[in-house]
Amino acid sequence: MSISLPTYSRLELPLLGRRERVRAIIATGLRREFRRPAAIVVTVLGAAFTTITSIVLLIFAQILIPGQAADLTFFALPASNGFVLFFVSLMAAVIGAGLIADDMQSMAFTLYMSRPITQTDYLLAKAAILAPLVAMVTILPLLLTALVAALLSRVSWAIAVEAMGISLVIGGLLTLFYTAVTLFLSSLTRRKGIAAAGVFAVNFGLTVPAGILATRIGNPAILYLSPWDDYVAVASAAFGATPSAIDWLAALAVLLGVTVLAAFVTYIRMRAVEVITG
Amino acid sequence: MVLVETAGLTKVFGDVRAVDDLTVQIPDGAIGLVGPNGAGKTTFLRLLLSLLQPTAGTAKVLGRDIGDGVPVRERIGYMPEHDCLVPDMTGVGLVSYMGRISGLDRDTAMSRSHDVLQFVGVEEERYRKIAEYSTGMKQKIKLAQSMVHDPQLYIFDEPTTGLDPRGRTEMLDLVRTIAKSPGRNVLLSSHLLPDVETICKYVVILDGGHQIAAGELSQLLTGATDRLRIDVRGDQAAFARLLKEAGFEADAGPTGLHVTRKPGLESAVFDTAKALGAEVRYMGKEIRSLEELFLELVARTEKRGA
Repeated sequence: MSISLPTYSRLELPLLGRRERVRAIIATGLRREFRRPAAIVVTVLGAAFTTITSIVLLIFAQILIPGQAADLTFFALPASNGFVLFFVSLMAAVIGAGLIADDMQSMAFTLYMSRPITQTDYLLAKAAILAPLVAMVTILPLLLTALVAALLSRVSWAIAVEAMGISLVIGGLLTLFYTAVTLFLSSLTRRKGIAAAGVFAVNFGLTVPAGILATRIGNPAILYLSPWDDYVAVASAAFGATPSAIDWLAALAVLLGVTVLAAFVTYIRMRAVEVITG
Repeated sequence: MVLVETAGLTKVFGDVRAVDDLTVQIPDGAIGLVGPNGAGKTTFLRLLLSLLQPTAGTAKVLGRDIGDGVPVRERIGYMPEHDCLVPDMTGVGLVSYMGRISGLDRDTAMSRSHDVLQFVGVEEERYRKIAEYSTGMKQKIKLAQSMVHDPQLYIFDEPTTGLDPRGRTEMLDLVRTIAKSPGRNVLLSSHLLPDVETICKYVVILDGGHQIAAGELSQLLTGATDRLRIDVRGDQAAFARLLKEAGFEADAGPTGLHVTRKPGLESAVFDTAKALGAEVRYMGKEIRSLEELFLELVARTEKRGA
């Protein structure tokens, strides 16, 4: 094979800033996810199932839940839709688990770190790839449900807009929680299967036993161990619905605390990563 | 211009001092970093890129402290030794992506990636996924991604690893072309000494994390002292012994006798040959290959250590 040289010339352009470099990682990361059939299926199914079940709940609320008023409290139901828990776990496992683990496994992390970006840039970009996809399950269905409720005149527009605002906040909280925890798990291993198993362990390994134990021994405080129950407690309080068995403020503190801790530990861990192998 | 400047640079992994108190000034141009496996070459390169944090000491690359990180890496193109490519991306996709992470806008990154892929000889294969590439193609993609943002300094870590002879020749031709281009500097790390010898003008030789020699390759190979190499057919050891008895510094080695030049050496050599009935087949100025120099330096270091 001959070596062709003619077009390799000196580049005189100034380089763009770090924000643009991070944006490039995010855009390419999202594009790559949307080319993966597994990621597409999980995202589409997750958004569709959670939205459809929430709208079905809305339409048949008075039949399914006798006595449910058509006011802000109604939106606590779609917020605590069990499909959200299932699909957010699936998305975090299918999409998020490999975000850092795959780069460590293929040693592409060396390539990233040999570029003019920092570990923080890399981590922020990875979070920005996962968060919007998780939000398709945690925020989008709630927004659409409120919109449909207003369009069908089930609630006033004022209530619908208020519900959308609250949905953004509590959905955002859940998105941040799963993004931080998933990236933390992904940074711990080179094998995304292990990180994915960790996501399921955090969700179902805590939620199901916590629920069973809390009922058996009659101590609801155990539910604080379950991120899903913490979230439901916060969502119920935010929409003014019947309070759950645990205090929403303490539940909020648990969710925020774990989110911040997971993000901080991941940050420290990534900063400490030294590219040694190879 | 000084390309790399270190002072007491040290990196310790547990009990192992991978780079040990390295103080070196490397000029611009094509620089070879040589040493056996485990000499600390890759660790040294990764320290320069801030991929590793030094345990002690300082280093500057292109006049900037390595602690600055981002501005230093903007001016460096790094080709790692190991496989590090994203398998589910296409060749052109990865190179362009790396260009964008280096700060090129989308259009420039794409057009540059086509340029550099053409330069390295990856033609229509550029649209295939990297997972389907051969080792040679992957090496070329690694080279292309290091070039895409047109850095001032190229760091190539064992670029010919795993290549067949044809691939190796192609890769060395590419590295040589880059090294000859104005305004570009190459730091080539290799344990394959002929690779370095054909490309670099200046070498730094490492062993056990220490610098054991550094300088212009031509000077290192001819040696600071004026020495002759003599090929003798006969008892070489006895030949060296007689020369020593006659007051000359002589060493017998695998590449012949190495004798420090002094007045009367030539006649002493022929007298010795006559006395031993040996045949002098060659006598000329000592020009070692890099491999010979390297073996000699390593042996000297080992002797000192012992």
